[in-house]
Amino acid sequence: MTTLDSAFPNTRIAQAEFTGQSGEFFKIWIVNLLLSILTLGIYSAWAKVRTNQYLHGHTKLEDHGFRYLSTPLQILKGRLLAVSVFILITVLSSFTPMLALGMSLLILVATPWLIMQSIRFNMRMTSYRNVRFSFKGNYWETVLNFLLLPMLALFFTLGIALPWVHQRIDKYIFDNLSVGGQPFKLNTDVGQYYVAALVAIAIMMAGIITIVIFAGIYGVMIAQAGEDSAEQLLTGTFMGLIVLLYLGLFILNFVAIAVSRGIVLKHIISTLKVEDVATFKTDMPLSGYIKLQLLNSLILILSLGLAYPVTKIRTRRFVAQHIQVELTEQADTLVNDVQGKDPAFGEEAAGFFDADLSFT
Amino acid sequence: MLQVRGKYQLAESAQFHIAIAKMNEQGFVRIIDAETLTLIVEANTDAFSYSDVIPSLPTELLFHNRCRFIPDLAEWTWPTLQPKSKILAWLETRWTVVLASLILIPAFMWIMTTKVLPAAADAAVPLLPEVVAEKTGQQTLAVMDRTLLQPSQLTTEEQIKVNQLWQQVLKTTNAPLVNTELQFRDSAIGANAMALPDGTVIVTDDIVKLMEKHPDALQAVLLHEIGHVHYQHGMEQLARSTAITMLFALMLGDIEGAGEMIIGAGASLLQSSFSRDMETQADKYAHHMLPKLGLSKQTFAKALTLLAESHGDLLSKGNAKAHHWLEYLDSHPDIKKRISDSSNANTH
Repeated sequence: MTTLDSAFPNTRIAQAEFTGQSGEFFKIWIVNLLLSILTLGIYSAWAKVRTNQYLHGHTKLEDHGFRYLSTPLQILKGRLLAVSVFILITVLSSFTPMLALGMSLLILVATPWLIMQSIRFNMRMTSYRNVRFSFKGNYWETVLNFLLLPMLALFFTLGIALPWVHQRIDKYIFDNLSVGGQPFKLNTDVGQYYVAALVAIAIMMAGIITIVIFAGIYGVMIAQAGEDSAEQLLTGTFMGLIVLLYLGLFILNFVAIAVSRGIVLKHIISTLKVEDVATFKTDMPLSGYIKLQLLNSLILILSLGLAYPVTKIRTRRFVAQHIQVELTEQADTLVNDVQGKDPAFGEEAAGFFDADLSFT
Repeated sequence: MLQVRGKYQLAESAQFHIAIAKMNEQGFVRIIDAETLTLIVEANTDAFSYSDVIPSLPTELLFHNRCRFIPDLAEWTWPTLQPKSKILAWLETRWTVVLASLILIPAFMWIMTTKVLPAAADAAVPLLPEVVAEKTGQQTLAVMDRTLLQPSQLTTEEQIKVNQLWQQVLKTTNAPLVNTELQFRDSAIGANAMALPDGTVIVTDDIVKLMEKHPDALQAVLLHEIGHVHYQHGMEQLARSTAITMLFALMLGDIEGAGEMIIGAGASLLQSSFSRDMETQADKYAHHMLPKLGLSKQTFAKALTLLAESHGDLLSKGNAKAHHWLEYLDSHPDIKKRISDSSNANTH
């Protein structure tokens, strides 16, 4: 921090903001869904571009919106190619078991490539003040971080190394990003990932212990009650209790996930930099993040998934509200270094084979 | 002359000017620096295009040299912007359209998955080469042999007896059925019979034992399975589910998370309703063919009653096998209705 201040005395702090509205985005989303379905999926390429343009355009820093640069035809071409490959693989593997095995191997080999292409495409199709982002990860590093290390951590360390792998994956993604030739740098500390994992485990453990104690008390109550009333207790309250406990565990699971995600997200934002250009800071309250995630899950369940666009807007707004960026003067003189129209095949195929990741 | 304040973003660069854009009715535009009031650029309509009109975002001027002008006002409308480029944004901001979507989306999906796609898929089945049915049948049997089925425990005599019944049944079916073959298997699923896409019919040891004293009932069951083969139900099912998977993949490429899950669940519910229609069709085929075997139409009702009793026993025992019976209920029409249908078939 101090070195940054001395090297670039003229820095300024900018507050990120997101100006999209839930109701407005819901309308856009559902109308685009209708048009996609009525056109048997052709319009979905336009839908993707329009919804991304809305989300990017309303994400602002110093009153400049981000831009989504991909065109519908570019997406459509990639999507049609991906569908053809998907159909080919489905049909071929339904014929012979040997071929099916070969196909699953092929998909396994292709997955890291798809992940890489998907990040690359999304970054290159995003610009801020006419300067595009880019991603320079390569295939083998993606294989190592997304495939090899998670498997090794799972089988040989019984998952103990997983938070470390998680940290490496985040670091791999961000350290390979750049904007206007200026690389991103993520200085995460693996300790925070372990804190996040341990807190989540502790929450679940506390929940389970509470349940066991409850069950114990209940057992004693039955043992002490007379025979008639014991039977009553068993039938009526017992079922209610079981439902209640399951519900409690279910909610606790959501809480645990939200807490660990919140810890990691805060840590990532506060250790992220764009070399010589920007330093990210966050004042995000963990409790606020947990409340947001729990409410999002609740309205998703209650609306049978229909509130998906609403949760998307709520999350974006909350996260943006709590990101501050310290910018140097160099931020004003960046020059775009990404050219050309990238093929969308990788990104679209990643969507079909569920190899895409969403990170905010 | 209309004018609006905004930002003039230089090409391929983070640099910009706070600027004012002035445009006349013909689309001639002048960009003027807001501080120095000097002219930055002036251009005709052929030098720029408009960005997509997105609700609550400003419509930008995209100059062909990659500079952009972004108005400060989201609601700003350029005089030469074509009304048709606002249609999408107009649709996307109407609650009436949202309401229509909420009705039309499920209605359209319903019609596509229950009417249009099955019809299209069924029409495609005769066009598929024979080898597709053969391969799929072999594949299905191979998979089932590894999971649900074990080699039959029946004696050769028992098998020969059933084979004789099978041959009798085959003789009465008027259409010469290619590649129809009877296979015996033991299985934890209990008394059951099934037809594969290539015409292979499988009977479980339990159903053979169950109907040992009622060969006519077994023949009715075999007729039902031949009905499936006759109508190529296996291939139709395959074509339908492939078509639906593809349609959903295409239409919902963009739907993430819970939406995808809910719509997907709807699709699998629909698939079980297809198979119910197919069972009814196979039942009718059996009714129609039974008299040709010299059997009463009520034989099929008898077979169903026997099956229901056998699975009912399992159900009352609380056996693990009961689970299959629940699945069976899902894909087959209500057993009581089937029994009464086949009894009625006799009186007509």
